[in-house]
Amino acid sequence: MIPVGLRPSCVVEPADNWLEAQGDDRYLHAMQFVGTIGRGTIEKLRRLRYLMAVLWAVGRLGAAPDSWRRTTRAVLARQIVFTGVDALGFVIFVAFLAGISIVVQAQVWMGRLGQLELLGPLLVTVVVREVGPLLVNFIVIGRSATATAAELAGMRVRHEVSVLDAQGVDPMVYLVMPRALGMAVCVLCLTVVFALVSFATGYMCGALLGTGPEDPAIFARSVLRGFVPGDFVNLGAKTILPGLMTSIIACVEGLSIEGVATDIPQAVTRTVVRSTLSLLILSVIVSVLTYV
Amino acid sequence: MYEEGSNGHAGEVLAFAGVSVASAGMHVTGVSGVSFRLEKGGLALVHVEEGAEHTPLADLASGLLAPDAGRVCFRGEDWVEMGARRQAEQRGCIRRVFQHYGWVANLDIVENICLSESHHTGRTLADIASEAEVLARRFGLDGIPAGRPTRVHPMTLRKLEWVRAFMGTPALVILERPLLGAPKGGAEQLLEAVCEVREREAAVLWITDEDRVWACRELASPARYRMNGETFGPA
Repeated sequence: MIPVGLRPSCVVEPADNWLEAQGDDRYLHAMQFVGTIGRGTIEKLRRLRYLMAVLWAVGRLGAAPDSWRRTTRAVLARQIVFTGVDALGFVIFVAFLAGISIVVQAQVWMGRLGQLELLGPLLVTVVVREVGPLLVNFIVIGRSATATAAELAGMRVRHEVSVLDAQGVDPMVYLVMPRALGMAVCVLCLTVVFALVSFATGYMCGALLGTGPEDPAIFARSVLRGFVPGDFVNLGAKTILPGLMTSIIACVEGLSIEGVATDIPQAVTRTVVRSTLSLLILSVIVSVLTYV
Repeated sequence: MYEEGSNGHAGEVLAFAGVSVASAGMHVTGVSGVSFRLEKGGLALVHVEEGAEHTPLADLASGLLAPDAGRVCFRGEDWVEMGARRQAEQRGCIRRVFQHYGWVANLDIVENICLSESHHTGRTLADIASEAEVLARRFGLDGIPAGRPTRVHPMTLRKLEWVRAFMGTPALVILERPLLGAPKGGAEQLLEAVCEVREREAAVLWITDEDRVWACRELASPARYRMNGETFGPA
């Protein structure tokens, strides 16, 4: 213990009541913890608000005929070719595999349980409502959203966005809007293709293995009976909304880098993480709103 | 298709009034107290110091950069007061040779050159492309090369930037050190094109650090300005 007269002024006196000091410390840490959570939440809400603002702008611009000049239409066509047409082979292959594994298994188990009449509703539930939209969205995220984010981030690094702007070509109209709408349309179309190929493959495998109906009309009727009007709403919402969000996230992440090439991989990573998260959240919300 | 703003002098294309902007980002220097006017068919030669050549003048003139003080008006309208759509429309009648790389890498050369015209006008693509071909031959090229800009030699790219800068009927042509990286002997072709575009009532803002341009007698009655550091004034 240092005598009072010899203590330097900077020495902090211990609190008389150490329990009280401990309590203060805990209170401080708790508040810091709450503050960290709050800051993170506010930041996420700000990002969400920004994404919603871009989504609104895309919708508004998409509805304005003046936005659809031939240069913008060309970008839309390219986006559809890249996201839709070029991905068709891969989606068909995945649908073929999914058709074998899902539809054949469903046929086998429904047959064993003697519930073949429930085959249609089950397939619609699994393939059309959940697996199809999810898998196609994942494919589009991995294949197109990453490419879009990298492409736009590269444009930022090379100051190409300013080159467009200097020529009176609004980057929002030329870069973001057609990509967003093109990707959304492609996700919907690819999901329809996915479902059709899955069913066709499943039927053929079932017929070949003797686990399903041999008459395609019976199979088709069974599947069609499984559809309810809500399925079409569900299919549209689970493809168009995540498709839009994915492309907007990719565009925003790509265009928000600060002009350094090393930021490009990070923008791509953020695109994958945030698009996947938004896809899953939107899927859950749409399922709950449509079927509960 | 381009309507002129209701404010300002009828023949006025570009007007800087007490414009200052601090040095920021990619701009080497800021500018302070820039005031000048450019009429239809006029030419402003701005001599900049070597090493500090990339001034924000071109970005200010095309409304890409908002001034910290003062006003930049294009055809009677202040860039700051225009909405985004109007700004895009107005920039559609500005052509520019960028000092640094001015190409969109994922578009072909011909798409790059025709982009502004095909975005802002209703001309047919064949018409736009044939104009580009004619201009390219005029600048000593064998036509518009196929493929992406990254596959074309920088000297050819520089001339192709000239082609883009003189396409259509621009109201303002901004030349940011257009001879930088250009092949020797190309200056005369560029000067001719500048004279011709002025006859078509386009104003030209030429930013240069080259004495041969500064001293050139072929350019009729240019307004000459000099930038020393951030200070801008008549030469």
